Amino acid sequence: ERGGSNSFTHEALTLKYKLDNQFELVFVVGFQKILTLTYVDKLIDDVHKEFRDKYRNEFQQKGTLGLLNGTFDFKDDFMRLLRDAEESSKVRAPTVMKTFEQSLKSQKTVKCMIETRGEKPKEKVKNKKNKGSKKEGTEAVAAPGKASAGDKQPSAAGEKEELTKDEILQKNREEFFKRHMKAGEKSSKSPKPEAQKEKGKKPRVWDLGNSNAKVLDYSNSATNGSAEACPVEEFDPDTALGDRNREPGRLYDLEYESDDEAEEEKVVQNPSKPSVKKGGLGGMFGMLKGLVGSKSLTREDMDPVLEKMKDHLIAKNVAAEIAVQLCESVAKKLEGKVMGTFTTVTSTVKQALQEALVQILQPQRRVDVLRDVMDAQRHRRPYVVTFCGVNGVGKSTNLAKISFWLIENGFSVLIAACDTFRAGAVEQLRTHTRRLNALHPPENHGGRTMVQLYEKGYGKDAAGIAMEAISYARNQGFDVVLVDTAGRMQDNAPLMTALAKLIAVNAPDLVLFVGEALVGNEAVDQLVKFNKALADHSMAQTPRLIDGIVLTKFDTIDDKVGAAISMTYITSKPIVFVGTGQTYCDLRSLNAKAVVAALMKA
Amino acid sequence: GMAAGLEPHLEALRQELRAPDPAVLSVLLALLVVAITLLIWRFVRGRRSSRKAVLLLGLCDAGKTLLFARLLTGKYRNTQTSITDSSAVYRVSKDKSANVTLIDLPGHESLRLQFLERFKAAARAIVFVVDSVAFQREVKDVAEFLYQVLVDSTLLKNAPALLIACNKQDVTMAKSAKLIQQQLEKELNTLRVTRSAAPTSLDSSATGGPAQLGRKGKDFDFSQLPMKVEFVECSARGSKGEEGEADFEGLEKWLAKVA
Repeated sequence: ERGGSNSFTHEALTLKYKLDNQFELVFVVGFQKILTLTYVDKLIDDVHKEFRDKYRNEFQQKGTLGLLNGTFDFKDDFMRLLRDAEESSKVRAPTVMKTFEQSLKSQKTVKCMIETRGEKPKEKVKNKKNKGSKKEGTEAVAAPGKASAGDKQPSAAGEKEELTKDEILQKNREEFFKRHMKAGEKSSKSPKPEAQKEKGKKPRVWDLGNSNAKVLDYSNSATNGSAEACPVEEFDPDTALGDRNREPGRLYDLEYESDDEAEEEKVVQNPSKPSVKKGGLGGMFGMLKGLVGSKSLTREDMDPVLEKMKDHLIAKNVAAEIAVQLCESVAKKLEGKVMGTFTTVTSTVKQALQEALVQILQPQRRVDVLRDVMDAQRHRRPYVVTFCGVNGVGKSTNLAKISFWLIENGFSVLIAACDTFRAGAVEQLRTHTRRLNALHPPENHGGRTMVQLYEKGYGKDAAGIAMEAISYARNQGFDVVLVDTAGRMQDNAPLMTALAKLIAVNAPDLVLFVGEALVGNEAVDQLVKFNKALADHSMAQTPRLIDGIVLTKFDTIDDKVGAAISMTYITSKPIVFVGTGQTYCDLRSLNAKAVVAALMKA
Repeated sequence: GMAAGLEPHLEALRQELRAPDPAVLSVLLALLVVAITLLIWRFVRGRRSSRKAVLLLGLCDAGKTLLFARLLTGKYRNTQTSITDSSAVYRVSKDKSANVTLIDLPGHESLRLQFLERFKAAARAIVFVVDSVAFQREVKDVAEFLYQVLVDSTLLKNAPALLIACNKQDVTMAKSAKLIQQQLEKELNTLRVTRSAAPTSLDSSATGGPAQLGRKGKDFDFSQLPMKVEFVECSARGSKGEEGEADFEGLEKWLAKVA
């Protein structure tokens, strides 16, 4: 389901792949990460095309047995393609810079000189004048206010009318260099006027600062507080009140101009109608073509459908970037695939999307808490579960629900109150403990108190309390320790460090992230930052990350269940529990098919 | 009213039968033949078991794809982790015309249930391939997958024959089939308690909760299952290495029985 990006990096190698969905082939090219090879994409495309064309018959006719039995002697072709790709990407030698003789500039001066030579004297004078004026013009543009220097040039040109070729050449060269020197002259000349200015420096008067407050006080001292300050003629009651006809004291509703919008809609619809008609006939043929026979899917066919699916997913509360990535991966998986008869593009895309969603919701190993608790029981150590999450998602409530479930299955629970910040956190857990003990009194369980609270009040270090709680549980023989932590925002660096320290030091068996189902795009940010914090502050080789997700407040969303997808996509960890209410029995496990059905429902 | 309406039609029919008009009669005859043919065809199709598939299931790296290749071609191939299913027709023995469709499904956790869903209805028999060398380490995962296969409602209804093939017997550290059977029984015993005690699924009203495996009071035993379960040892690679034959006579015999 993560087929959107086509490259994968592991240690020193990078892998790029391409899928052929028609014949179900995967082409993978691996190369060292440090080499930035530009021809890889082209190479993989070429290999794909050639391989497919060469062995097309074998795939189509012989099927699986052909794949198993056939020999695919592609080595020579591959070497040839590789050589071609390498050559095409070789860097060309850097271009040699043109010498001054070759450049147009030097040629220009010679040319100009040749022109003046070959003309009549009258024209010569005119030309010279023109040249002079031209020069003056350019100089005026380039350096305003350098009229003195500009004047020099035409006068000089005007004086020398008969010159030898070489002299003229030399003169032009001098002018040419002078022009370049002019920039230097400019800079040398500019300090002079500045130096003059400095001698006669006047104090600068700023408008706003340094002057007396009195100067700034424009208020009329006599008018403050007096009633006659504002001249009467300036106030016009008509314009001030606006609508004269309104009832005094009544608050009117916001007026809603729907007429304009209706007009706009009509205008928009009319041009679209003829296009629909025109497209109707062609569309019908396309539909027929799609119904009968084998049509392979192209990107253009899938794009409108995928756009609609993406919007549909986002409307169902899936995070926007995840919806985009999902649609990308579905497109990659279906591109070039041959559709069967009587299947439309929409149905194929929907089917593929549904499969991808189910796959996302059933990631790696299922977390079976009871099984693992039994294992820990055998080793005579308590099973430690830590709950973390942002503020107000339902950590304490769901902790109570989970402890109720564990007690029902015969395990004794120690609740560690590591929320030492929020007012009433410890009392809340104490109330839950009392209630649970009332529901499951020790007499029913062989004289053993099933739930106990370990707390050290407020303001203490959470990691220390957790460690003490675990050793207390080991001594007293409790089966499970549930650690409740304070809610914290993912951006709050010191609190995230504290949480990471708690988890790194105590090494719990299960780290559960509690997230509410109402969250939208925030889910991505929360999970990424939590995981990052846990990874950054852990000393071990393999850091303890979030192992599972508890999705709470599921009863508040009816079918906008997209948060489940966002969370499992980001972490690849399963949703262990789903909270559907505030009583002890409102604890469920996730049913992937039901959630996907609710998501895809229109 | 209606009887009166039908009367003229019946009269017309009687008239036709008395004085047969060849065109109408031939049309009626043709319709009758078509109806009979359809009935026969449906009957025959229903009789011939529409489930002709033998599924190869198991964890990742159990050896399913290599077993598949060996059964079909007899040659050794270097395989990769499968990401999609492969199916081919397998002739059981040279003379018998019976054949089954072998389907090799991927074992990866994120794919296995999806593919099982797709093919379980067509399954006549299931070969569950177990890696005998890594079994000690993986016993919980093996049992979990096996549990999911066994409690599936479609498979419980059809009860296809189940063969647990303990693969990789060519390695010296491989566990025997008997040991694997005992361990699986113990693990499944625990699992059925924990799984049924898990919080009910979100949509549980529809499914009615997970099925109970085996008998309640007694310890779990493979004989308590509705389907026939057998254990067999095999080696897809073969004791003689890549060039030699694979060692799976037990598997081949069982396949011949099933087909």
